[in-house]
Amino acid sequence: MLTVLVGVLVAQNAGYHQDPNWRVPADAMSRANPLARKPEAGAGGEKLFKRNCIECHGEDGSGVAKKNAADLLLPEVQSQSDGTLFWKITNGNTDRGMPSFSRLPELQRWQLVLYLRKLTTTQGMSPKDPAK
Amino acid sequence: MRKRHLKKALVTLFIIAAFCTVRAQESPYFVTYDHHLEEPGNLELEVYTTSGIPRSGQVAYVAPYMEIEYGVTGRWTAELYLEGQGTVGDSAVFTGWRLENRFRPLKREHWINPVLYLEYERTSEATRIQKEIVGGGPDVTSPNSELQATKNHELEMKLILSGTTHDWNIAGNFITEKNLSQSEGFEFGYAFGVARALASLASGNPCRFCRENFIAGIEVYGGLGTTEEGFSPHNTVHYAAPVVSWQVSDNGSLRFSPSFALTHEGSPVLLRFGYSYEVRGVGSKLAQLFGGKH
Repeated sequence: MLTVLVGVLVAQNAGYHQDPNWRVPADAMSRANPLARKPEAGAGGEKLFKRNCIECHGEDGSGVAKKNAADLLLPEVQSQSDGTLFWKITNGNTDRGMPSFSRLPELQRWQLVLYLRKLTTTQGMSPKDPAK
Repeated sequence: MRKRHLKKALVTLFIIAAFCTVRAQESPYFVTYDHHLEEPGNLELEVYTTSGIPRSGQVAYVAPYMEIEYGVTGRWTAELYLEGQGTVGDSAVFTGWRLENRFRPLKREHWINPVLYLEYERTSEATRIQKEIVGGGPDVTSPNSELQATKNHELEMKLILSGTTHDWNIAGNFITEKNLSQSEGFEFGYAFGVARALASLASGNPCRFCRENFIAGIEVYGGLGTTEEGFSPHNTVHYAAPVVSWQVSDNGSLRFSPSFALTHEGSPVLLRFGYSYEVRGVGSKLAQLFGGKH
């Protein structure tokens, strides 16, 4: 367990701070993932993640420090609602280097959200209990 | 002799294309622009050809062009085009270059997303890539020797309006071009496109022929006349073109589109092929090379 925790902490982009101006509208935050009851769709999300996200977020999602990309394992990311993550994937934050992925079909963006949730479980962490 | 040069040019183009691999979810359009820009720091290399199938009194031609596209920032993409043309029974010529910039003024996704496009062209009258059509369209009947003698400096502006609804991309481009070398007035053109991926969900397995890797749609484009000759739909070229792109690898995609003329001007059919390869993180690699931080 200690090895996993140390590994995760080393991989994390410790210098990452969320952009306080990257605000998500309230109605977008509350959107539920239409694939929440289809966990098998997460496999497609993994493929999409590897194709579109690992360049900046790294294969394990911990974020490439040089790109100032978010560490997706951090509780401050994982505690965000599905709707928030979906909105952020859709709109991007172009001034901070995060492109918009609105070119992906909507369900594929929800697949990515599914996979982001899976990232933490593969690392043995729970979003609300980072020290576990 | 000239045919041999044309053959050589085509073989070279094929070899360049064959050694590249191709990227996911690229727009399938050849003429219409949507609001998606290149990712910051990424470089995209693209090779295209526009082939004109002749009607009586015309000759067939192939106009290859190469596009080097770079994401300067998340809201600014710059591109350099190098273009040529080979006409059956005539010659193969380098027809010029273009420098293009696209700016996205709004940060977030909206129903309609505007993009401002500014391009400088240094091309001859022999250009036939037909990346856009303005005024009455290109001259496809005069010999290259005559057309190459006239070189033009041109400035082109586009207002790109594009949005996504229910996974459909809908895009409209309004084009105006000013030839700075000749007093031709302003020329106008348009392009509209709709397209969507053939599957909404990504499958879990790696696959090349899954529906999710294909995007299909249609685009319509043409000239709207000039301030000097008027805005009559007569004597202008208009095309309707089904478009399809296939993402053959994580980094690249192939595109194909047959364009069919809706008027009796220009070539009756244009066959367009494209192949693009995305090199990721070029900006950061260059920054490292020159000791920058990026």
